[in-house]
Amino acid sequence: MKESLVSFKGINGGIYINIKKGQFNRIREELEKKLEEAMDFFKGANILGIKSEDLSQEQIDEIMDIITCKFQLNVLNNLEDNSKEKEVFTGIYEGMTKFINTTVRSGQVIEYDGNVVIIGDVNPGALIKAKGNIIVLGSLKGVAHAGIDGNQNAIVAAYDLQPMQLRIGAVISRKPDDNTAISRMPEIARISNGEVIIEPYLPRK
Amino acid sequence: MGNGKSIVITSGKGGVGKTTTTANIGTGLAMLGYKVVVVDTDIGLRNLDVVMGLENRIVYDLVDVVEGNCRLKQGLIKDKRYEGLYLLPAAQTKDKTAVTPEQMMDLVSKLREEFDYIIIDSPAGIEQGFKNSIAGADQAFIVTTPEISAVRDADRVIGILEANGISDPKLIINRIRYDMVKRGDMMNVDDIVDILAIDLLGIIPDDEAIVISTNKGEPVVAEDKPLAAKAYKNICDRITGKEVEFLDLDDHEGKFSKILKLLFSR
Repeated sequence: MKESLVSFKGINGGIYINIKKGQFNRIREELEKKLEEAMDFFKGANILGIKSEDLSQEQIDEIMDIITCKFQLNVLNNLEDNSKEKEVFTGIYEGMTKFINTTVRSGQVIEYDGNVVIIGDVNPGALIKAKGNIIVLGSLKGVAHAGIDGNQNAIVAAYDLQPMQLRIGAVISRKPDDNTAISRMPEIARISNGEVIIEPYLPRK
Repeated sequence: MGNGKSIVITSGKGGVGKTTTTANIGTGLAMLGYKVVVVDTDIGLRNLDVVMGLENRIVYDLVDVVEGNCRLKQGLIKDKRYEGLYLLPAAQTKDKTAVTPEQMMDLVSKLREEFDYIIIDSPAGIEQGFKNSIAGADQAFIVTTPEISAVRDADRVIGILEANGISDPKLIINRIRYDMVKRGDMMNVDDIVDILAIDLLGIIPDDEAIVISTNKGEPVVAEDKPLAAKAYKNICDRITGKEVEFLDLDDHEGKFSKILKLLFSR
């Protein structure tokens, strides 16, 4: 079997097309075949760019034409723009903080470009989104998403931490289905080895 | 275009058991081996996810799918018990105007390609949310309880459905208490069918098991014993074209009281 020249790599927010060294005709054929086979998969997906070992700008342009015109995929921006790293909120140790002085109820959303402190409860069906940390001085039973722009060091802490779902950065974890024992201690959630872990922050109390 | 059949569960009045019925019919059909999606159109007051015990899995919702923030497959939540059962949850942080009837029609036609049955849970009322819920439906099931107010609202809804081209809706009577019917304190099935003049699809007895299972997030139809579970199973069989006799609710007043009656009648 001949080695595949075209491969696709999905990352946060879209797909990269990797192209190896080879005859341009074969590359083009293979690309069209693969796209046709998996049209459903690619429908609505964003193509972030093409990474090639040895293609001229003209050839890259031709491939871009095939992707956009023949298959009508979205190409987000060209290669140069992707090299820039997205900036993430860094004020999780010291930075902008919003204080919410009430209970957040079902259907309400708190969204802030910094840390959020809720002086009250967060009920099921409520959503807290922060670029930084989320601290709840009460029960957290809704959904909390800390580090929404990708800060994996953000934390979520609550006096009573029982969220429906916890998201930190790009990691999502959900409440277990069985009724696990409820901890009566204040707890903190953070990412360790790509998973959300929850532990008491006052273990001796 | 796919062959899936779309059914809206509606009532007009709130609190008569639309969501419970949707969850149980959806689960019941999946238990029979069909591919089923239950769609919650009650945007802003979603419940179906809670009743099915899938609330903790929601990442995207109906509004995200309709607005194109995610792909349809990403919005569908796989049930934790039954293969082939999926939930499309409503958004909680938006309101009914976030979706239009045209978008719903489009969505349902996409779901038709993937699923045998699309069961749509309608919100209470007859406003935009209701109009969204019926937009893509081929058929309607009307849920009512044996109360005049619920029957009145059901009648109104049947009229609106007919005006929107959904004819021949089927009736589900929920929360019948046979002891009260016998005493003459509750409308009986015949009274209700007389007023509404549509085909009866099922009768669900008032059953504590429903409250218990709803709170646990596990539809009652999955259990063996409760009478309500049998009633829902029968409805599912009828949907798939089988002829099933209606439950004889009188039979279930309890063996003990029957023995007592026998003893005293001598």
